[in-house]
Amino acid sequence: MPRLLAHLLLLLALLAAPLRAADEEQDEPAPELAAPPPDRARLVAALLAPAAEQVAAVRALVGAEDAAIEPVLTAWRAGELFLVPLPDGTRVPATLAPAAAHAPGAAPDQLVALAVADGRPILAPASTADSPEPNVRNTNIAPAPLLIASRQLRPLDTSAPLRRAIRDVLEVAGVSDPRPHVRRESIARIGQSHKTEHLPLLLARLEVEKSSVVLRTLREAVALLRLSDPDPAVRAEAFVTLGDVRSLIAAARFKEALALPVGDPSAPSAADAVGMRRSLQRIEGHWARVNFAGNLFRGLSAGSVLLLIALGLAITFGLMGVINMAHGELMVVGAYATFVTQNIFVSVFGAGSAGFHYYFVAALPAAFVSAALVGLVIERSVIQFLYKRPLESLLATWGVSLALQQTFRLIFGPANVQINAPSWLQGGATVADVAFAYNRLFVIGFAALVVFGVWLVLNRTPLGLLVRAVMQNRQMASCIGVRTTRVNMMTFAFGSGLAGLAGACLAQLGNVGPSMGQLHIIDSFMVVVSGGVGNILGTVFAALGIGTVDQVLQPVLGPVMGKILVLFAIILFLQWRPGGLFPTRSRSLD
Amino acid sequence: MAHPILQAEDVSKTYDGFRAINALNFYLFPGELRTVIGPNGAGKSTFFDLLTGRAQPDTGSIKYADSDAAPAIDLTELNEYEIQRLGIGRKFQTPSVFAEHSVHTNLVLSLKGPRGVFASLFHRLDSTQRDRLDALLKLVRLEDKRHWKAGLLSHGEKQWLEIGMLLASEPRVLLVDEPAAGMTDEETHRTGELLLSLRGKHSIVVVEHDMTFVKQISDGGQVTVLHQGTVLCEGKFDEVQSNPQVRAVYLGRGKH
Amino acid sequence: MSAPASLSAVEPRFFTRTQWAAFLVPTLLLALVLPLLNAFLPADSFLRPSDFTLNLYGKYATYAVLALGVDLLWGYLGILSLGQALFFALGGYAFGMHLLLMIGKDGQYKSDLPDYMVFLGYKALPAHWEPFYSFPFATAAALIVPGLLAFVFGWLAFRSRIKGVYLSILTQALTYAAALLFFRNDFGFGGNNGFTDFKRILGADLSSPDTRRWLYVASVVLLAGVFLLYRWLTRAKFGHLMQAIRDGENRVLFSGYATARYKLFVFVLVAAITGLAGALYVPQVGIINPSEMTPEKSIEAVVWVAVGGRGTLLGPILGAIFVNALKSWATRAAPELWLYILGGLFVGVVLLLPGGLVSLPAKLRAFVARLRRSGDVPVADASKPSA
Ligand SMILES: Nc1ncnc2c1ncn2[C@@H]1O[C@H](COP(=O)(O)OP(=O)(O)OP(=O)(O)O)[C@@H](O)[C@H]1O
Ligand SMILES: [Mg+2]
Repeated sequence: MPRLLAHLLLLLALLAAPLRAADEEQDEPAPELAAPPPDRARLVAALLAPAAEQVAAVRALVGAEDAAIEPVLTAWRAGELFLVPLPDGTRVPATLAPAAAHAPGAAPDQLVALAVADGRPILAPASTADSPEPNVRNTNIAPAPLLIASRQLRPLDTSAPLRRAIRDVLEVAGVSDPRPHVRRESIARIGQSHKTEHLPLLLARLEVEKSSVVLRTLREAVALLRLSDPDPAVRAEAFVTLGDVRSLIAAARFKEALALPVGDPSAPSAADAVGMRRSLQRIEGHWARVNFAGNLFRGLSAGSVLLLIALGLAITFGLMGVINMAHGELMVVGAYATFVTQNIFVSVFGAGSAGFHYYFVAALPAAFVSAALVGLVIERSVIQFLYKRPLESLLATWGVSLALQQTFRLIFGPANVQINAPSWLQGGATVADVAFAYNRLFVIGFAALVVFGVWLVLNRTPLGLLVRAVMQNRQMASCIGVRTTRVNMMTFAFGSGLAGLAGACLAQLGNVGPSMGQLHIIDSFMVVVSGGVGNILGTVFAALGIGTVDQVLQPVLGPVMGKILVLFAIILFLQWRPGGLFPTRSRSLD
Repeated sequence: MAHPILQAEDVSKTYDGFRAINALNFYLFPGELRTVIGPNGAGKSTFFDLLTGRAQPDTGSIKYADSDAAPAIDLTELNEYEIQRLGIGRKFQTPSVFAEHSVHTNLVLSLKGPRGVFASLFHRLDSTQRDRLDALLKLVRLEDKRHWKAGLLSHGEKQWLEIGMLLASEPRVLLVDEPAAGMTDEETHRTGELLLSLRGKHSIVVVEHDMTFVKQISDGGQVTVLHQGTVLCEGKFDEVQSNPQVRAVYLGRGKH
Repeated sequence: MSAPASLSAVEPRFFTRTQWAAFLVPTLLLALVLPLLNAFLPADSFLRPSDFTLNLYGKYATYAVLALGVDLLWGYLGILSLGQALFFALGGYAFGMHLLLMIGKDGQYKSDLPDYMVFLGYKALPAHWEPFYSFPFATAAALIVPGLLAFVFGWLAFRSRIKGVYLSILTQALTYAAALLFFRNDFGFGGNNGFTDFKRILGADLSSPDTRRWLYVASVVLLAGVFLLYRWLTRAKFGHLMQAIRDGENRVLFSGYATARYKLFVFVLVAAITGLAGALYVPQVGIINPSEMTPEKSIEAVVWVAVGGRGTLLGPILGAIFVNALKSWATRAAPELWLYILGGLFVGVVLLLPGGLVSLPAKLRAFVARLRRSGDVPVADASKPSA
């Protein structure tokens, strides 16, 4: 059974890899390792041009696709751009940076010059390099960067017209930035700026833009600027476009405009009002659907968490008839196991290293095993004596849970511990405006796998057969030679291990602290009860149902009222079906 | 003929697709002692479940009519205690007594009388009730063990106690499920005599497997054979015994 | 073992003469002698119980009433309710509302409104607070509010025949939900600070030893009264029925008893009485807040009963006193160990001493008897649960 789980986990890790590739939003900032873009030459040329031509040269940079334009021009305007004279007489435009990062051993006040042309440090000619460590230099073939003391150079001059030109270019530089998210931000800013003079630039960009996400922002920006167009036909088209792209900004503006009193000079014309209304309707409808889908998704993931917790409970409570109030603490054991695994990975691989990000793959089995072991100890020491006394098992395990909580406090301290999500669980994907966080996606997928695994174990393995036999009639099973003690131990450990897995997952979603188990135990008991005791399928439906209803209610009623309502809904639900969703039948009189 | 006191028509009950009771028709007349036999799993106890409100039939009607004049009451609408209060008492197949209570208390709790919360709060035994308890204890031969915890009685003694409890509630209809199980032959015979003596005053349905016992109590009365949830045949003991269908069903099952 | 000649001997008597003595002596000692000693002996007398002691005992007495309720439900009726702390706290809140209003203008803000209302910017007293100026009304509310909640919940739960652990879990959820609600500021009951800083009760200064002594006496009298009431309930037919429901509810149903009504009756009665105990508890400890109504508190009360001995009426009282005394000692002597001690009590009692403290003498006697001769046939004893 642990082997099966290990396989599942491996599979999961493999599945997670392509997830990262699908990431659209997270475009890496291009480190300038490859050749600089062709437009870089124009930038360098503008910097080196004679003063009279500089303004024109700078203005010509509009639309150039180079991420360096923005920082370089900013530096220029701020007087932080320098022309570094080289021994061969040429002068190279460069910015200065502390030397420490590029030349180990450099004094703190020494600087290196980063050439605008390629972003790399300008290298010193071998003879002039002034390295404090000659040995190192000898073995090192690469020449050392040129070290410059601060205030050794004078910044490149700017004139007032030049600064104006730089400002104008900077305002729109982002539109053609190679990084999509920079483009989007820049375009969105222009779209909201009411500056119609930028319209031609945006229209030009519209021709060449390839990224669909940016394209949408671009269309939105163009349409927003066209809202003030004198031609009603153009405005009407803009309304439609804004509806098409579900523009929230436009929605806000339309609402504002439509709310103006009739006589107001800036109130929209009748035709415009119609267009706005139609557009507004489409936009709001869309976002309502998006919010609903988002809530549904969050509900599904909350339900999956509940499911993970309740599944272990369904086994120990539903199948074995043991009320394990320490189930929440077993979950915390799993969460702390994740924490410890993380710390081990940090000390072995270093924080943030590539190896570190796979700590969670190791944490899952660690959480399972540690919780299962603790569960085993509880079963041997307490629960084995209470199989026929469910109410007493409730009390005794409550005692165990108190002791465990105190133990957590003594070992890990009373405060929450910090657990960092591995990189592949951070961020999310947006599909049709609905955000899907990876950690939530992971929990859903993981819960599905665990349910499948549990189903396999219970229905397709000899252990499962024994479990079901013992659960139905402990005495009879032991009479026909089933070693009930072992089966009990195994089953309870299995259920506890599942709690540990839930804890590991929960550690990725929220805080981990000594009393975290108490927060979830009641919810998960409710899941098992309303699902129908001893029924895995019922547990699945109940968990997803309760999780979703809870999430959908929360934005409307607030977190506490939503929870209370769910609790009462469950109580009422049990009126209608006292046995839960899938009741078990029994013929005995009691 | 008189109006039936119990009348079940076209009753069916399915458990997970298994037809435990299948289009069953059953009529019990006032004062009658009816014996019901049938192989294991024929649905005898399930039928009692339906009569006493323990389970609801999927289809069909179950009616109870106190007297010819009284309107028939639909038992499927009522729950266990309402049916008991109507005067339909049941002895379960597995003896079920209040195991933690004394024999005496078991009988006290079963005595006919008001069943409400406040009635129980202010309950006192009057002298007629005490006499009745004494008589019942004597009848079921548990005078000496009246202070025993009922759970400590032997299987047969529990059967007697439960019969005593049934009689204590003075029902009009007695549903007796396998009363003789766990009794000696002599005790079984005595049970038979007891049931026969109740005939006429009460309407009785007895379920039994022990054919000697069935023969004893059927004594000219009707015997119903249940098979696969439905009535296979009905008639006098001899008729039923010689019925080839019944023989086929019972092949090797009966004690005789 | 010979049967008694007359059946009437089976009729349970309320109290035998020795039992009356066993009841009256400690009751009088606690309700009369101790307060008198406290009032009239000089402060440095060796025999004089201190004000602090009386106050502590008064608190224990209200806890014991809570525990008796848990036991009546659990030990006799088989309902392990984890909502008893909720009923206790509801009674406390109802009475706390009255005490809060009695502060008058002596609060921090010198306003007619309770401090927390001023703090939260209330302009006027909410209408449902008005009647709580009346002492009888507040006392009645301390009975009725928990009783009503118990009625609604119990009616729903018992009607659909929810029992055993399911009922426990549902009552736990109910308590949890209520605690969440009371923790909220906008629910209007002072949020997580609850009510505190009470000044007077029935015009008497709450901080004076006299007032506190009377509160103590009231608590002991309440405990004695509740003990008698429950004793009466558990004797005779009603008690037998409760135990029969505990051991086999279905059989009771088939004997013609509407068990749901019996359960509801006891559940509501106990809730109301528990609420009253809560109402007496609050002026003695001077504060009521939502942490009093958590499921944890309910379970703690269950442990008192388990430790003392469930299914008996003496057990819960002993248990409540024993565990709480242990708690006040442990939280001072070794605070980080308290949870281990409490956890150990849970496990230990359940595993090693299911009958609780009260079963110890019988166990010892049985042990001694076993040394002397071999066992006899046990006599019916319905007060020992089998579950
Ligand atoms: N509550 C229930 N759930 C599932 N199946 C049931 C239930 N009640 C009855 N059955 C089924 O109905 C069938 C009839 O059972 P029943 O106990 O009525 O037979 P019987 O005639 O009393 O047999 P026996 O002579 O052994 O007592 C059985 O196969 C049983 O499995
Ligand atoms: Mg049967």
